[in-house]
Amino acid sequence: MNGALTRTPAAALRSFRSSQVSTFIGLLILVGALALTIQHVLQQSASYFFQILVIGVADGAIYALIALGYTMVYGIIELINFAHGDVFTLGAFVSLALLPMFGVSEGTSGPGWIIPLLVVAVLTMAICGGINVAIERVAYRPLRHAPRLAPLITAIGMSSILEGAMYLWRGPFNLHYPNLLPQNQLIIRGVAIGYKDLIVVAIAIILVAALTVFINISKLGKAMRATAQDRDAAQLMGININGTIAATFFIGAVLAAAGGIIWGLYINNVTFDLGFETGLIAFTSAVFGGIGNIPGAALGGLLIGVIAAFNNAYFDSSWTEIIIFAILIATLVFRPTGLLGMRVPEK
Amino acid sequence: MVRARGLAVLVVATFAAFACGGSTGGGNTSKGEIDIASDLPVSGADASSGLPTQEGANFAVTRAGTLKGYTLKFVPFDDAVNGAHDPQKGVQNVQAMLSNNKILGMVGPFNSNVAKAEIPVGNQGPLAMISPSNTNECLTQAHDYCQAADGFTAASLRPTGKNNYFRVAAPDTFQGPAMADFALKATSSQGLGLTKIAVWDDEETFGQGVANNFAQEFTAKGGQVVDRKSYDPKSKADFHDFIASAISKGAQGIYLGATSATKGCIARGEMTASQASSLYYLGPDGIGDSQCIKDSGSNANDKMYVTQGVADATQNPTAKSIVAAYEAAYPGSSNVGAYTFAGYDCAAILIDSIGRAIDANGGNMPTRQQVIDAMAKTSNFQGLTGTITFDANGDPTHPTLQLQHYSGGNWTFVAQFSQGS
Repeated sequence: MNGALTRTPAAALRSFRSSQVSTFIGLLILVGALALTIQHVLQQSASYFFQILVIGVADGAIYALIALGYTMVYGIIELINFAHGDVFTLGAFVSLALLPMFGVSEGTSGPGWIIPLLVVAVLTMAICGGINVAIERVAYRPLRHAPRLAPLITAIGMSSILEGAMYLWRGPFNLHYPNLLPQNQLIIRGVAIGYKDLIVVAIAIILVAALTVFINISKLGKAMRATAQDRDAAQLMGININGTIAATFFIGAVLAAAGGIIWGLYINNVTFDLGFETGLIAFTSAVFGGIGNIPGAALGGLLIGVIAAFNNAYFDSSWTEIIIFAILIATLVFRPTGLLGMRVPEK
Repeated sequence: MVRARGLAVLVVATFAAFACGGSTGGGNTSKGEIDIASDLPVSGADASSGLPTQEGANFAVTRAGTLKGYTLKFVPFDDAVNGAHDPQKGVQNVQAMLSNNKILGMVGPFNSNVAKAEIPVGNQGPLAMISPSNTNECLTQAHDYCQAADGFTAASLRPTGKNNYFRVAAPDTFQGPAMADFALKATSSQGLGLTKIAVWDDEETFGQGVANNFAQEFTAKGGQVVDRKSYDPKSKADFHDFIASAISKGAQGIYLGATSATKGCIARGEMTASQASSLYYLGPDGIGDSQCIKDSGSNANDKMYVTQGVADATQNPTAKSIVAAYEAAYPGSSNVGAYTFAGYDCAAILIDSIGRAIDANGGNMPTRQQVIDAMAKTSNFQGLTGTITFDANGDPTHPTLQLQHYSGGNWTFVAQFSQGS
């Protein structure tokens, strides 16, 4: 009672967040946005709605793959790895360079490209994984006990270095990525769903499922969960912390590289600075779904992809960026643990 | 020993004197040096448009060599940053030009949004500016929509109240509508016979302006713009939703108010083969370059049409020998862009204006203002891309533009349109 007027701003924010008012305001905004969207959706055909939904899910699947890397690294060392978006771009660049070496180009027809593409994918993921582990060793490990701002700034610097390297390598041009996936479309009740969209979503689902199984069943996965929960206790239990963290970076890069290859196959176009914007969107997805939470990252990516596609299709696409970053800010203000919550260690 | 050394010095000095005579006919003392500058995007995605233009201007300067006793030198500047034309870099370049007293004029810029930033700086210099390719009409003409649509007016770009900016390209008030008329014309009259079209723009000065001009004319002459969208080139990479939107509204073609550097042709590359074979892809000169063809990948086909803001010099019989000489000096089709010979003409007009200013100044080095005044009086100049006279605004009085479509790996000539205004 007597403390009501002399509360600190932090305490005020905390109580606002947990109060009914903030939930109510959040819900109101959500309902309003949904109503507006539904009104626009009804003005156009149902097949168009499903078309956009398919595109949104495909884009969202790619964002989810990148978001997983962000969320895993944050979960384990509480660092937002801003260079992750550029590892994604690097995956696209490296695969673009490797494909001709295996005789794959845009005209290669039929299944002649499937095996080479898989080989290129494995190589690319290994290379990007290796690079990410090297980055962790050189740029982040020395700063593990430094104040949290230091590795964050280093990550931003690393992002610039990677972008600069790609700029020097392939120049500032838009690079055309070979169009290999089948271009046919499945027509279901007037809705044209491309095989491309289905393949993108299928690959993403497989990778997310594989990751979840790995995290929950394998010994390394258990070590990663333990390190994320309490690093010192894990070390006392005999877990090799450095190795576990390196493995996390490796796996994160593998997913990002896969995302880069899928992006190339789907969008057929990459530029050296693609990772900056896409990385920010993926980061927003990770936060939105719950940073440190793997299903959360996947869900966040999916939702952001769908929201972006719907906004581009039914409203003015100039608003898409604003909406995505408004979601980021709103999440941090109203529900910082994200949609699915964060597995926060008891501190 | 000393005598031998003295003889050696004399011999070396004689050789040096002959060597320094150079290409200007050796021996004649030059009255000084006059520099012709250029500001074009010559790196990155814009390089496929900017670099051939720079080479055209360079060729004109080296071909002239001297002007009324002065040695001519070409000083190129690049306004591309990270691969795309950048207005701020352009401004820095113009400031650098102003600090070099030998530079009496510049060829460029290439892009209208760079011109928007540069013209006020050149106006205050003053520095004569002549662009081979700027087409946004608000740069020179007063229209009541300029402030609202583009954020500036021709008058607001000229703080001294006088004009220093000229161009040889046809303004978008001509370029956009010309494509609209062609698209609407029946196929029996060699048109495309389209009635429904989607129009997209890249939210830049040039792109949005030409898209608006196209849409306005298309609607006025009985067509229907079924879908009108804008995108931010820095953040938009996936155009599938735009393509789906255009198709769902029944568009027979898409008009892109954009340049290749602002992702104008990425959408073509993202279409499925069946979409690409049924949808027309139209655009202004911004996408009429080799980068667009690369970005379209396997979807580049003859349903892609562009207008170029200047006439095709190879269609001009009087230009044959110079065109051939250029192609000998810069071999390879990548060195001939749509604006190469416009760049040549701009440099040639600038040289001609400087020459007239020298004459008016009694054979002495003219001031930059005198060069501007001489350029404004340019009348019936026989250029490679046409006969050029400037009107009071700095626009060509009889702009010509050409229509091209994609065929066999390149943009090829289809027709030419002239406007007698």
